[in-house]
Amino acid sequence: MSGIVIAGASRTFGTVRAVDSVDLTVEQGEFFTLLGPSGCGKTTLLRMIAGFTPLDTGEIRFGERRIDRLPAHVRDIGMVFQNYAVFPTLSVAGNVAYGLKARAVPAAEIASRVDEALAMVQLGGYGDRQPHELSGGQLQRVAIARALVIRPHVLLFDEPLSNLDARLRVSMRAEIRALQKSLGITAIYVTHDQEEAMSVSDRIALMNHGRLEQVGIPVDIYRKPATRFAAEFMGTTNLVEARALGLAAPVWVSLRPEALRFAEEAPAGWPHLPGAVAAIEMLGPITRLDVRLENGTILKMVVLDAPGHVVREGQRVTLAYDTARLTVVS
Amino acid sequence: MILAIPHGQRLPLGIAVLAFVFLGLFLVYPLLNVFGASFLDAEGTAFTFANYTRMLGRPFYRAAIANTLEIGVAATLITTVLAVPFAFALARLPIPGKAAILAMASLPLILPSFVSAYALVLLLGRSGIVTQWLQAHGVGFGSIYGRGGIVAVYTLTLYPYVLLPTIAAFKAVDVSMEEAAQSLGSSPGRTVWTVTLPIVLPAILAGGLLVLIETLENFGVPFVLAEDMPIFAVEAFKLFIGETAPNPSQAGVLGVLLILTTTAVLLVQRRFLARRRFATSARQATPLLKVGRGVQAVATAYCWAIVILALVPFFSIVVLSFMEFRGPVLHPHFSLDNFAFLFDRALRPLANTLMFATAAALGVTLIGVPVGYVVTRYRSGVASLLDVLATLPFAVAGTVLAIGFIVSFNAGVLVLTGGPLILVLAYTVRKVPFAVRSASAIVHQIDVSLEEASVSLGRSPLQTFLRIVVPLMLGGILSGMVLSWVTVASELSATIVLYSGPWSTLTVVMFQALESGGAGIATAAASFLIVVSLLPIALLYRLVRRYELS
Repeated sequence: MSGIVIAGASRTFGTVRAVDSVDLTVEQGEFFTLLGPSGCGKTTLLRMIAGFTPLDTGEIRFGERRIDRLPAHVRDIGMVFQNYAVFPTLSVAGNVAYGLKARAVPAAEIASRVDEALAMVQLGGYGDRQPHELSGGQLQRVAIARALVIRPHVLLFDEPLSNLDARLRVSMRAEIRALQKSLGITAIYVTHDQEEAMSVSDRIALMNHGRLEQVGIPVDIYRKPATRFAAEFMGTTNLVEARALGLAAPVWVSLRPEALRFAEEAPAGWPHLPGAVAAIEMLGPITRLDVRLENGTILKMVVLDAPGHVVREGQRVTLAYDTARLTVVS
Repeated sequence: MILAIPHGQRLPLGIAVLAFVFLGLFLVYPLLNVFGASFLDAEGTAFTFANYTRMLGRPFYRAAIANTLEIGVAATLITTVLAVPFAFALARLPIPGKAAILAMASLPLILPSFVSAYALVLLLGRSGIVTQWLQAHGVGFGSIYGRGGIVAVYTLTLYPYVLLPTIAAFKAVDVSMEEAAQSLGSSPGRTVWTVTLPIVLPAILAGGLLVLIETLENFGVPFVLAEDMPIFAVEAFKLFIGETAPNPSQAGVLGVLLILTTTAVLLVQRRFLARRRFATSARQATPLLKVGRGVQAVATAYCWAIVILALVPFFSIVVLSFMEFRGPVLHPHFSLDNFAFLFDRALRPLANTLMFATAAALGVTLIGVPVGYVVTRYRSGVASLLDVLATLPFAVAGTVLAIGFIVSFNAGVLVLTGGPLILVLAYTVRKVPFAVRSASAIVHQIDVSLEEASVSLGRSPLQTFLRIVVPLMLGGILSGMVLSWVTVASELSATIVLYSGPWSTLTVVMFQALESGGAGIATAAASFLIVVSLLPIALLYRLVRRYELS
């Protein structure tokens, strides 16, 4: 067994190139995330791997086996859907056993594997429940158990946490990652939430307009965004012409808010930028500030809350920034 | 060849091919034969327009067309004018007994309309009970035969076609639209007129056009009430049955003209209105309007009056069936003679009716459910063609389809005339559009990802359809089957052309009794039909209720 290779995959809907010649290799056992705004093609690419959207051109291989011409039901995938897609006509155990029965696994083995899978998602003893008795989070656990019990070549997650409330999302994503790592099954995960992507992934492919914008480990994409789109999508940033920061090069740079400090608190050697506070947004642990430089450029910065710290609108301040965290973007 | 078809398309294509074969053989082929017959000369060999010029040249048949359209338009207008306020009252006003009104208002859809027409004759006809009683007290009134009576029966039996979709539309109107209008200074009355009505208009028109189609195709009601006034479907029947030589060209001409008219109306209904649906998804239930006691009383009386008036004919025929008839003359004594007579003389037709209805309901379900699934789930030229073909029977009058069946299956490779199968097949084809619509409505509510989940877990699309989709559709499939069963049991227009020898049905018994003046057995047969129609619906209702409660 080895990973997944996608080569030159394209798909057009009408005049829209939903997926535009994508080349991608996902390693065996890797937790790989397709990240991007809605309409970027991430779900289409996932559905191409699953077999629900045919490719116009290109190919997909699971290891040596080419699968893009195979019907979806023989591809050996486990898929978790945004809206759970738990069969309402079957019990929890019936749902989890569904894929095993399709594979004609002996009944005794089915029973033990179903129990094992339910225990894994912390639903031990829930086998006889009916889906309508379960909460959203529990339904998604059933869907996960149902997908992993068949030990597929790849687990596909299509925005699995979008329908859950914020608190549950955070705990579930950690659980999903832990489960995937303990089983060693390759996972491809689709989300539009960059924080979620950063938290669960081994690697992220950032997508835009059907193309791969940047592929890399989360910290690299955050710290070294290759493009303006990547810089903005991965979190708040200051995207300015280098000239606005007093640099000569005719390029655009990205400077994260946390790379800016007040000059009096900054290490020596950081370049200074005089300006005035234009807007203040107190969020509790942090305060967001907009600072207007003398050349008119507005920079966003973040300061940690501390007692005695008072900033007023209109106050003149001098900023300093860390040149090591300045990234040139194309 | 199979390998060239994308794997995701194989199931829908397979279903489509089977459906095309069935509908091609039992819908398109018979209709083509009707078309063909209408263009053949007397020898049946040369192509000619002579049949059309001859038929359209005769004032009698021109009058048939004019009468049918006139009655249809009048019935449609009156139905709409009566049903829209009714719908508004049920959707938006505080009316006591809403659930009961709604249940009773749906009944005319499943009760045979010609029974209503027949009841009207028994009560208000020339020698009707009420007529004689009134004459005895020196009161006379106009004739119920002809236009007036037919329009009245159509109105009372077809109004649910406008009422039910209009109620749904009124309920789906987003209240914030009305609130927006009122915040801009519009009075509640003006708001209904300028905001709410335009939003529900497509639903009203769609329902109205269905009424028009039903009136154009109806055979039983004009047969009972038209007397010597020529009507489309009746004249086509008379031409076909009355002919001694097997030359159905003149009946074919009427059939073709009838199909073209109904198809035109259906196309307007589907193409024009389908696109003009205003999607206003109401987030919360629309609140009832606050009105004075006077308005509430008038609205309540209005709703109950229509519902009850529509059911009076059916109720009275049940009562009459328990009275003594001597020939056509009624005696006000309680008696079971009519039923004894019915079970004695007509046991075979009775059994046939139950048998045919069961067979056709099964056939309709087997075709309608997969076809409804394909036309809802897949977007392709094949799926659209299948949708059109599966809707076509709605535009074909039973009489015309039956004529096509006789012409097509009287000789040659496939001979069906004279047997029971031809009836079952005709019923099946006629009810396919309803089964497809109802199946499609259920499939719309099933989340596609359930099917994708099943496929991703290793079940093929066919297995997924059988294991996941069908169980989810079960309630809807069951009620669709019962509806098909009920409407087939009281089918008249195709039956009357196709039945032969021992294979007659209850509706045929009624029809023959009407012609020969055997009112007693006709009322018993009608009562039996009413019971046969209501019983399964009541059972289904209880079954569904129990299912929902568990």
